[in-house]
Amino acid sequence: MLSITTTPAWGEFTFDAGQALLPGMVGYAKVMIAAVGLLLLMLMAGTVDRTDEERIAAGRASFDPLRSNRAEFYAFFLFSLTGLMLVAGADTLLWMFLALELTSLPTYIMVAISTQRNRSREAAVKYFFLGALGAAVFLYGFTLIYGGCGTARLNEIHDHIALHGINTLTMAGIMLSLLGLGFKIAAVPMHFYTPDVYEGAAPQVSAFLAFVPKTAGFMAILLLAATIGWTYDPGAVKGVIRASEHGTQLPEAVRVLLWVMAAMTMTVGNILAVLQSSVKRILAYSSIAHSGYMLVGVIAGPGDGSFTGSGVGAVLFYLMAYGVMNVGAFAVLAALERGRRDDGDAIEIETVDDLRGLWSSHPRMALVMLVCNLSLLGMPPLLGFFGKLPLFTSAIGAGEVPLVIVLGVNSAIAAYYYLRLAFVPMLENADRGAGAPRAAPFRSREIAGLLSAAGVIALAVFGASIMKRVEAAAKVSPTIAEIQATATP
Amino acid sequence: MMTLAQSGFPEVMSQVTLAHYLFVSGAMFTIGLVGFLTRRNLIIMFLCTELMFQAAGIALVAFGRFHLDFTGQTFVIFVLTVAAAEAAMALALVVLLFRRRESLDAEAWREMRG
Repeated sequence: MLSITTTPAWGEFTFDAGQALLPGMVGYAKVMIAAVGLLLLMLMAGTVDRTDEERIAAGRASFDPLRSNRAEFYAFFLFSLTGLMLVAGADTLLWMFLALELTSLPTYIMVAISTQRNRSREAAVKYFFLGALGAAVFLYGFTLIYGGCGTARLNEIHDHIALHGINTLTMAGIMLSLLGLGFKIAAVPMHFYTPDVYEGAAPQVSAFLAFVPKTAGFMAILLLAATIGWTYDPGAVKGVIRASEHGTQLPEAVRVLLWVMAAMTMTVGNILAVLQSSVKRILAYSSIAHSGYMLVGVIAGPGDGSFTGSGVGAVLFYLMAYGVMNVGAFAVLAALERGRRDDGDAIEIETVDDLRGLWSSHPRMALVMLVCNLSLLGMPPLLGFFGKLPLFTSAIGAGEVPLVIVLGVNSAIAAYYYLRLAFVPMLENADRGAGAPRAAPFRSREIAGLLSAAGVIALAVFGASIMKRVEAAAKVSPTIAEIQATATP
Repeated sequence: MMTLAQSGFPEVMSQVTLAHYLFVSGAMFTIGLVGFLTRRNLIIMFLCTELMFQAAGIALVAFGRFHLDFTGQTFVIFVLTVAAAEAAMALALVVLLFRRRESLDAEAWREMRG
C-alpha cells in the first residue's frame, strides 16, 4: 500500500481508469519540487553556521548542541522535501496523512535552530502547536471520510461517492480536512501563525516555509477535490449529494467553504500586508494572500482542460511560479546583513527602510528585488502574470465572477506594498552611516537570488512547454459522470 | 466473523454500537479543541492536541470494526507513531523554552507583534 511509485519525470502518462486521480501531477510536482528545492538548498547555505563550530574549537565559545547540528538541519530539509514529493503521489488517506506529517515535522525544528535568538524559539513553538492542531483537525477529517466510505483509498472513495453520493459523515470529514489543510496553506482562519513564524525564522527558512508546506497543502487539497469531483449541480445542499452529468462545480457546501476561505484569505492577507513595515512580515502576509489566489483555482476545477481553462493547472503552475519568485524575494534578505552579533548571528534586514540605497551599494540584489516583486504583483511580461492569468480565466469559465472581482481588487491592493518593496531599493537613498547592508559571506545565497530572478524572466519567455506539461499534469481522471455511465446499466 | 468477534464479549458490551464510540470520540475531540483554545500552559495545550489525535484513533478503530476491514486499525498504528514523534518534539521545544524564560505560560512569549 505504501510502495513508492516511480514515475518518469516528464514522460507520457497512460493510466487505467480509477488508478490515480491526478495521474499527471506526480511527475510534474516532483520536477517542480526538485527544481525549487535546489534553489532553496543554495539559499540555505550557512544557516547553521560553521563559523560557530570553529569558535567552539578555538575555545571562544561554549558547546551548544543547538548550534552544532549542521548535518541535521540539511537532513531535515531533505526529509521535508521527500514528504512533499510523497504528498503528490498519495493514493490513500493514510499515505497522505503520513506524507503531510513528514513534510511538516522537520520544519518545526528547522525554524527553532535557524537562528540563536529567542524569536526563533517563540516562532517554532507557535508553529508547532498550531501545526499539531491543524494535523489533528485534518486527521479527524480523514477518519470521518474513512468512516463514511469504508475505505481509505482515494480512488475507491471516488467510486463510492460516484455510486452512492456523499453522505453526511463523508461531507463532515471533507470539511474538517479542508479546514485542517488550511493551516498548511496559511488560509484564514488558520493563518495567525504565519507572520510571527516568518519573522522569527531566518529569511532562508521563511522562504522554505512559504513554498514547502503550502505546496503540500495545495496538492492534498487538489487530491481531495479530485476525489469528490467537480461534477455537481449548483444548489444541492440537502440529503445525499450526488454528482450529475452536466454539473461543473464542487458540491455546494464545499464550494461555499472554499469560496469564503479564498475571499477572506486574499483580503485579510493583502490588507494586513499594507499595514506592515517589516519586510518579512509583508512577505508573510502576501504569502497568505497568494494562498487565497490559488484557492480560486481549486474552486474553478479542471474546466475544459486547456491551460487558460483549467483551475487545477492554474494552481499547479502558480505553485511553481510562486516558489521561484518567492525564493528570489527572500534571497535578497538572506544574502544581505547589517552586521553580526557577538554570538555570530547575522543582524537581518528588518524594515523596508533598511533596503534604501540598495541600488547603489548592491545593484544585483536591488534588481532581484525589483524583478521578483513585480512578478509577485503579476506584472505582464513576468512569470507571475502567466501564473495569475489562468486563475482569472478558469474562474470566469467556471462562472465564479464575484470571486474574480475579489481577486482583481486584491491584486490591485497588493500593488501598494509590492511596488514599495520593488522601488524603495531602486529610488531612495540610504541614510549615511548606520547599519548599511553588506553582503553575507555566503555567495550561493546571492546566486540563488539571481537564478530566481533569471527564472522569473526565462520561464515567462520560454513558458510554452511548461504550460503544455501543466495541461498534462492537471488531467483529472476519470469523471464521476463517466463512472456512473458505466455503473448504471 | 461478526459472531466470532463478539462471542467472548460480556453481554453488556454487545449493546455498544458505533454511535457510542463516535460519541466518545467526538467528545474527546471537542474537549481537546476547547482546551487548546482556552488554556495557556504549553504542556496542557500539547496534551489537548494529543487528545484530539487519540479521538481520531478511537473513531478509526470503531469504523474499522464497523466496516469489517483492517485499514482503520492499520491507520491507528501510524497515528500513534506520529503522535509519539510529535510528543518528543513538543517536549524538546517546551524544555528549550523553559530554560530561557522559566515559565510554561504561552503568554510569556510575546516578542513579536504587529
